[in-house]
Amino acid sequence: MPCKHVIGCGDALAHAMAAWRTVAPECELQMLEIDPGAGPAPIAATLAGVEGASAFVAVDARFLNGLRLDLMASLRLRGIAMPALVEPGALIAAGARIEDNCWIGAGAIVQHGSRIGFNTVIGAGAIVGSGATVGHSSWIDEGVVIGRGARIGAQVTLGLGVIVGHGRQVGKLCIIDKAGRIEADVAAKTFIHATHAQPIVIIGA
Amino acid sequence: MRSRMPPQAYIDEAWFERERDLLFKPLWQFIGLKVMLEKHNAFITRTLFGVPVVVQNFQGELRAFENVCPHRQNPIQVQPHGVRPLFCGYHGWSFDREGATRIPHEDALFRFPQEERACIHLRRFALEVVGNLVFVCLAETPLPIKQQFGAAMLASLTASSLAYDSEVIMTTYEGKFNWKLAYENLRDGHHPRYLHARSLYQDVKFEATVSEEGVEGLRRLQQDGIPGRHRALGLMRSFSGGGRDAPMAAPPNEPYHAHVARYRDQDWYYNWLAFPNLHIASANGGYAFIVEHHIPVSAGRTDLVVYYLTAKKKQPYASSAAVLHAHMMGTDVVMREDIDVMEQIQKTLHPGARSPHLGDYEFVNASLEFWYLDLMEGKFAL
Repeated sequence: MPCKHVIGCGDALAHAMAAWRTVAPECELQMLEIDPGAGPAPIAATLAGVEGASAFVAVDARFLNGLRLDLMASLRLRGIAMPALVEPGALIAAGARIEDNCWIGAGAIVQHGSRIGFNTVIGAGAIVGSGATVGHSSWIDEGVVIGRGARIGAQVTLGLGVIVGHGRQVGKLCIIDKAGRIEADVAAKTFIHATHAQPIVIIGA
Repeated sequence: MRSRMPPQAYIDEAWFERERDLLFKPLWQFIGLKVMLEKHNAFITRTLFGVPVVVQNFQGELRAFENVCPHRQNPIQVQPHGVRPLFCGYHGWSFDREGATRIPHEDALFRFPQEERACIHLRRFALEVVGNLVFVCLAETPLPIKQQFGAAMLASLTASSLAYDSEVIMTTYEGKFNWKLAYENLRDGHHPRYLHARSLYQDVKFEATVSEEGVEGLRRLQQDGIPGRHRALGLMRSFSGGGRDAPMAAPPNEPYHAHVARYRDQDWYYNWLAFPNLHIASANGGYAFIVEHHIPVSAGRTDLVVYYLTAKKKQPYASSAAVLHAHMMGTDVVMREDIDVMEQIQKTLHPGARSPHLGDYEFVNASLEFWYLDLMEGKFAL
């Protein structure tokens, strides 16, 4: 389904516009840029300008995944369709499932039986192994490797150079921004940064 | 004025061990947040001056024990926090709220004589809860906690910490410096203008001042000395304090503020210093709090356990984890500025290093070191 509005902020917004022009050259695209620091009212006013059948949300990783989720939820509640963007050169195996507003970058490989939850970004050249699942609203950076049968929770960010071992689990809301292999399960709300010797964890709710 | 602190106080391991016995063992030490211990069987473990301690929730009641199984000295809880019965995974010994031991296969395999069996239980430590802050004391006869902090400080800690939310983010920095450099740094109100010029000082304009009354008090202290334990305890209480510190440059304004019940309603930087090694601050006028616990590991090593919490949520909101993460990464800048300078100072220290020179504005640090050295020289005991 061709997209009419591309909404978001940062470099990702311009990148998504260019990708949609390639994927759907027949579609008349309109870019709507939001200011994440402006507060809820101006953002809502921008979203109110979205008319028509479909839209796509693109937001930089630095805003984490919550903003992208908020924007998508607002549009979905209004019944606006939000098709996935699959860039040229991405390989989606038969039997893989890609949900709404996903963005599969050029050269990414999504293998058989895997499932990419809605609103998730799979960066260029990333590999999602067969039978692996990636929860909604996650950000899988360029070149990341997710092993066979691995389970990545919702709103997870995996940074450059991360390799998740076969069958491993990464809980929801984790950020792993330190290159290397993950060969043990990672509890929800754990933040592993190259700058910190010990993980940052969230306890309770 | 010339500091009396010898470099050995910062670099010598024998000195460090005397500190443990003379200063830390008699005093109440922060160990963690009550919000991390709300569930039955919730626990936290810390090593305080080499002593492994576990605080465990037994049906809502918190108890502190030495985290060592009396059988083969295996740690009973091995994670820093979690929810698990007090149970040793090595041979299955388990422990109740009194520290009494249940031993599987006791009659068949262990067959302890009655008098030996009576001695097999966990070593228990005194525990006090101040609002949301949990303290333990390793002494057999603990000092009343009010004598350490004073009633006003305890009331302020209670009121502010009860504003904490139950969702907490934490991490540990492994600092290569002596723990005293941290408390000296925190009581030096002049350094933020320079060290944190591009970070914290942008938001809060700390202004160091000279208190003539404080300077006069220091002069009297240097002249008259500390006449006895009663006066020593009174002086120690003056090293702890808290509340409003400095006004904020601009009113705090983050979208999540609408979702939390702010502590008070003033646009001030709040600061609490609990001697010897706990620092709490709110850099955004009571919307969020940082709790820094400086755990001495050796003469040249200090673990900084850092907790960050917002004020209590009015209702759950989707981005709360992202808010905590953003705060933690933001405070990381200031933490590293402090850690870097303390590690640089530690590297300059050697047995023949010259003493530093303190200005009049540093009368609190000067009083503290006077008190500290009298304690270490055995002129009074806590």
